[in-house]
Amino acid sequence: MSLIPGLGIVRGMSLTLRRFFQPKVTHLYPEMPAEIPPKFRGRLQLLYDEHGTLKCETCFQCAQACPIECIDMGGVDSKGRYAVHWGASETYGERREESALRRSGRTVPDAAYEHWSSVDLGLVDAILHDADHDPKRLLEILAATQAAYGYLPVAALKRISFGTGTWYAMVYGTASYYDNFRFQPPATTDGAASGRGQVEADYLAAIGRPN
Amino acid sequence: MTSLLKTPAAWPRPLLGKASAADPVDLDAAVKAGAFDGLKKAVRTLAPAGVVAEIRASGLRGRGGAGFPTADKWQVAAATPADRRYVVANGYGADPAVRTDALLMEMNPYGLIEGVAIAAWAIGSDSAIIAVRATETEAIRRLEAAIGAAEEAGFIGADVLGSGRELMVEVRPVQGAYMLGEETVLLKALEGKRGQPEQRPPHPAERGLFSRPTVVQNIQTLVLAAWILREGAAAFRAIGSPDAPGTILVQVRGTAGSGIAEVPLGTPLRVILELAGKNAAAPRALLVGGPSGGILPAELLDTPYSFAELRAIGAHVGSGSIVATGTNADVLELAELLTRFCAGEACGKTIPCRIGTRRLEEIATRINAGTPRPTDADLLVELSADIVASALCDHERLTTLPLSSVMRYFRPELDAKLQPVAEHTAGRQRIAVADGERRTEAPTA
Ligand SMILES: Cc1cc2nc3c(=O)[nH]c(=O)nc-3n(C[C@H](O)[C@H](O)[C@H](O)COP(=O)(O)O)c2cc1C
Ligand code: SF4
Ligand code: FES
Repeated sequence: MSLIPGLGIVRGMSLTLRRFFQPKVTHLYPEMPAEIPPKFRGRLQLLYDEHGTLKCETCFQCAQACPIECIDMGGVDSKGRYAVHWGASETYGERREESALRRSGRTVPDAAYEHWSSVDLGLVDAILHDADHDPKRLLEILAATQAAYGYLPVAALKRISFGTGTWYAMVYGTASYYDNFRFQPPATTDGAASGRGQVEADYLAAIGRPN
Repeated sequence: MTSLLKTPAAWPRPLLGKASAADPVDLDAAVKAGAFDGLKKAVRTLAPAGVVAEIRASGLRGRGGAGFPTADKWQVAAATPADRRYVVANGYGADPAVRTDALLMEMNPYGLIEGVAIAAWAIGSDSAIIAVRATETEAIRRLEAAIGAAEEAGFIGADVLGSGRELMVEVRPVQGAYMLGEETVLLKALEGKRGQPEQRPPHPAERGLFSRPTVVQNIQTLVLAAWILREGAAAFRAIGSPDAPGTILVQVRGTAGSGIAEVPLGTPLRVILELAGKNAAAPRALLVGGPSGGILPAELLDTPYSFAELRAIGAHVGSGSIVATGTNADVLELAELLTRFCAGEACGKTIPCRIGTRRLEEIATRINAGTPRPTDADLLVELSADIVASALCDHERLTTLPLSSVMRYFRPELDAKLQPVAEHTAGRQRIAVADGERRTEAPTA
């Protein structure tokens, strides 16, 4: 309670009055562009081309470049080979993955991830051991893993990421670059070659095989 | 089974040597035939600087496609201060239609090991990697056996010829991408990374494998370096053309036959093609340089096969592939196929690479499908120029060659295809291309 009744109201009104004559700070967007922190890059959004196909080739370059590993790609890669995690809920799912947890300093094991992996990780552990957990020998590790499983299971890739201390995006991004790696069990029937394999076959058919 | 073409007896064969019945992995037989004489000379009488001087005097150019002077690379690598230097022999053989380098590794493993050792001696390197396509299992097996034998005999290993210098040579199988043939991509793969090229400069000779100075050299270049030290720079200069001395391996596909041959640089294309059999009818076109090669008309058959000459006419040595097409081949279909191959193999790192090459492919597809846009001819020229100007690695630049060489030499065919085919389709509007602008007319009849 103030000593003079009504003083509070007078003070409040005087503030209102002063503010009333001060210059306005509301930005008249879009006439006036907003001031944006220098490192703000907007929200990540994949673009579509004029035919309505995703422009993203799932090359993983953005995921590899991102220093805090907040980007991970989904979709099908440029060779139409592999459907990776996709969709909004996955965005949050990514944050709970082992590598993200590890980088954030938490050691919480992800029960969902352990439960989900159905492959025997003992094989890849032995391969990692033989290769000294050396990320410089990644291609060798990937080749041995593919030889052991017949393909590169996601769980094994994650184990390699964990075991070599390499980001998952680096491991997947590297593996997806080389044609000899596959991310699904080999087909049991002989299918027609597709994608790059077909183009190479066309080239050899036109030019002739080495003889 | 690779068929070696017979070349005239007067042509020297520094690469393949005399065809002998001896097992190429037999070290004693190889030493008797002169293997490691060049290394002995380098280690015992020539200092590293002397080796570089000898290579420079020979005028040796890289056989990997670009024809870069080898001595320049070695000099830079030797002069760059570093705790470690590497020699990488590029035996990948990117072009799937060419087996020249694999054949050379199978036939002359000691020549390659000697060349690697000489390069290592010249730049002061203690570890070398020979990268081989993983599917070339016979070449890998022979190289590994040869390295073991050479190490045992003290030519390489802990103490190279008693000089106190160490040299470990390792064979590394690589596979999975055409781009692995490109030097910076190969280095990335050897580091266990995604195979995408690096910005140059710095060139690998300054900053290469694991950021150390690295000499990346084609297999043939290294075998020739060993020959030069053995026989002398003057003997090498006597072969081939003055600007590009020596021989090179080519994979020839003529209309009458095909195979691999060792030819002196500067040999006319016609003579090389005739090694694979004579054919009365002139080919419709020649494809020189592999998937990203130039498509040349038969009138250019007398062009000497050498680096500068081929570049001047819009082709390149590239993978060493020389193909003669049949008399009624469709050059535009061929150009489309090649562009599709190259666009599919582009690594995706940069805009000209990821998008530029794909747009080139789309233009070619539209033209062949009879649905060209009126702007396509101009777009092709502009886009190609932009790609060449902004490319990160040579692959994008070379990807423009098939289409631009067709533009240059087969303009009538291209113009015919640029005329839309809609005329005969009743009920459709006719679109005529006139001076680059599009006008529509009412359907006739
Ligand atoms: C797309 C592309 C593919 C290449 N493929 C090969 C190859 O298969 N073998 C090779 O020796 N050089 C290849 N090169 C050239 C290498 O980048 C490099 O210039 C060469 O290995 C250097 O050796 P040199 O100086 O002895 O020629 C390729 C280059 C490009 C751009
Ligand atoms: S994955 Fe590659 S293509 Fe897709 S958004 Fe990232 S950088 Fe672009
Ligand atoms: S930068 Fe991608 S192929 Fe050259």
